[in-house]
Amino acid sequence: MSEHDKIRELLALAAADALTSAEEKQVAEHMRSCIACSNELGAWRPIASELRRLPTPQPSSWLVQATLARAEVKLTEQAEHDWNRRVMIVSVALAWLLTIANWLVFHFVSGRFGSLLEPKFSPTWISFAAFTALGWLAGGVAAVMLAIRHRGEKRLA
Amino acid sequence: MVGATALSLEGLVAVDADVVRLRRGDLNALSELIARYQNRLYRYLLRIVPQPAEAEDLFQQTWLRAVEKIRSFDASRNFDAWLFTLARNLAIDHLRRIRPQSLDEPLANSWHSETVADRIPCKDHTPLDHALAAERRTEISEAMAGLPMMYREVLTLRFEDEMKIEEIAQVTEVPVSTAKSRLRRSLEQLRYALEARSPGGTWQ
Repeated sequence: MSEHDKIRELLALAAADALTSAEEKQVAEHMRSCIACSNELGAWRPIASELRRLPTPQPSSWLVQATLARAEVKLTEQAEHDWNRRVMIVSVALAWLLTIANWLVFHFVSGRFGSLLEPKFSPTWISFAAFTALGWLAGGVAAVMLAIRHRGEKRLA
Repeated sequence: MVGATALSLEGLVAVDADVVRLRRGDLNALSELIARYQNRLYRYLLRIVPQPAEAEDLFQQTWLRAVEKIRSFDASRNFDAWLFTLARNLAIDHLRRIRPQSLDEPLANSWHSETVADRIPCKDHTPLDHALAAERRTEISEAMAGLPMMYREVLTLRFEDEMKIEEIAQVTEVPVSTAKSRLRRSLEQLRYALEARSPGGTWQ
């Protein structure tokens, strides 16, 4: 492709002010010696100029108000959803903490605080361990359900 | 020039502040953002979809999506480009849903309606000048409406929204070189359409 053809391809973009500074320089230099390209750029100018002056349609005030009203509902839903999620997370964390604290209290009250890691497989110990495991399991299930729900909501959005 | 730069910087700062407030769920911030972008966004959607009712629906959907996604908006990005990308994706989904081939089809309507500003007479121009200008505007908007969606889009982003090529590339999610060649092709197609409408006429 000759230099002239390359410049000619840039003329539409020149009228659109979409050239890099290097390209602008190239075009300006070529224009000094090429009347055909100069005329061609002259033909592009009114098109670009009319495109810039097309009337701007405006949305009705009803549309803007309706959008704001729907967005307000959405923001309120989001705030409620965030609050519910925070409450659930705190509840799960609290449930886990309580079960851990139960063990400490149990061992402290029974005077066998040091035997935390030395399980005695008595019926009391087993039922207390089962209770703890159940608490942890319930907390775990709630956490997983929360994560699944969160992922589902993100996918839907 | 310095004044214009200062004004645009001021605008950017205001948008950033509104975005931060919207992230906290502030409805007033949304109201300010809508006021700032409503004309540009609505015009962009009208250039893409065939019916004003569809553009209105997409306008609402875009802002609702913006509210939903504002927390994932990367503040280092340009908010204009982010918002227009949301609108574009919704519009393309909509067009694909109603008719997949409509992405390549021209618009049925044309949007060269006169505005109040157009009707205000200017002392430097005669009524004939006004009539000619209106005719040229009608011709160009009808020719533009006859182009495929991706060409209409790039023309409105460059000439009406005055976006830089880099911003157009961000909105349309293509490399800068593609956005640039798309702009060139869209101008060529537009000129071809104008010349075909009035052979030997004002556009040659």
